[in-house]
Amino acid sequence: MTKPIEVITSSEGEVFDVELELDILEENKRLALENKRRLESNHVRAIDVMGSVGSGKTSLIKAIISRLKDGFRIAVIEGDVTTTIDSELIASEGVPTVQVNTGKECHLDANLIRKALDRMPLDRLDLVFIENVGNLICPAEFPLGSDSRLVVISVTEGPYMVLKHPAMFLDAKVVAVNKVDLADAMGVKPEKLSADVAKINPGAITVPTSCRNGSGIEDVIKGLGLR
Amino acid sequence: MHEFAITSSLVDAVLDLARKHDCRQVLEVHLRIGRLRALSPDQMKFSYDVLVKGTILEGSELHVEETPGIVHCAKCGYNKEFDSEVGDAYHFGVPPLICPTCAGFLNVEGGNDCVITKVRMLIPSGSKVEMTN
Repeated sequence: MTKPIEVITSSEGEVFDVELELDILEENKRLALENKRRLESNHVRAIDVMGSVGSGKTSLIKAIISRLKDGFRIAVIEGDVTTTIDSELIASEGVPTVQVNTGKECHLDANLIRKALDRMPLDRLDLVFIENVGNLICPAEFPLGSDSRLVVISVTEGPYMVLKHPAMFLDAKVVAVNKVDLADAMGVKPEKLSADVAKINPGAITVPTSCRNGSGIEDVIKGLGLR
Repeated sequence: MHEFAITSSLVDAVLDLARKHDCRQVLEVHLRIGRLRALSPDQMKFSYDVLVKGTILEGSELHVEETPGIVHCAKCGYNKEFDSEVGDAYHFGVPPLICPTCAGFLNVEGGNDCVITKVRMLIPSGSKVEMTN
């Protein structure tokens, strides 16, 4: 009769290491790519619009739509923490809007955009604007599946805002420096903000704009390749 | 603020992994974050401690390893960590994308990671474990 082999067991179990390479942003990236393919297969261009609270994102989208709506079938996805104020402003241009309220989150993510796209007649659209939550930090971390990014900043945010928030400009195709009609009153030089953008992302097209008097809007449209 | 959302995805992923291994207690989670990601390790650790309460991750430690951002110039071949020579840009968190040697356009080639690299866990004695890579 053989003596049983002594087994040492810990009451808690055994310590075990799992080594892996698991990208936790992968799910958002995957959904963003899915959104992108879906838009492309319907021949819809999507532009995501980012910028601070009050920089003029909604006003700029509205100004662009009023100049393009005869040639393009346009819809807008409006992201906000709460309220439908921006959707109602955009709807006054007569284009369909979907409001996405994030509740507690400070950014839109690809899953929210997927749900919004479910509610849009993609086969009857040419162009979708996605207005992100007003925030210069978080949205840069969450790709949505759009094909170009428009960043809206304004002279009322002070002279250093570009240098303080560089991440937002890295992927921008066009940067609108808005409210230039207020530049003198603010003592802020729009050309300084443009030069700062060029330092961070030399590929971005920077356009001084004023939604109040309409200056620069056509150049934003051209910069986005819509004309 | 987005650290909370991302840490929440991290906790879900680890819980998923723990379930697959029949784990009763997670001891350590190791994460690799690129310096060019706008993610603060301190905020992630704080969010982690809040999120793991009442789960088998409670009491475990989140270890964060930060990796540098690498920039590469296609024109002259400049390839460096962005914080070594670009100076002040370090304090902005993102390098100006202009090559310091030839003024060409720099591509960001590293520093965007957000990856779980290791999870240390307690599993029941004698349970069979399948190694996955």
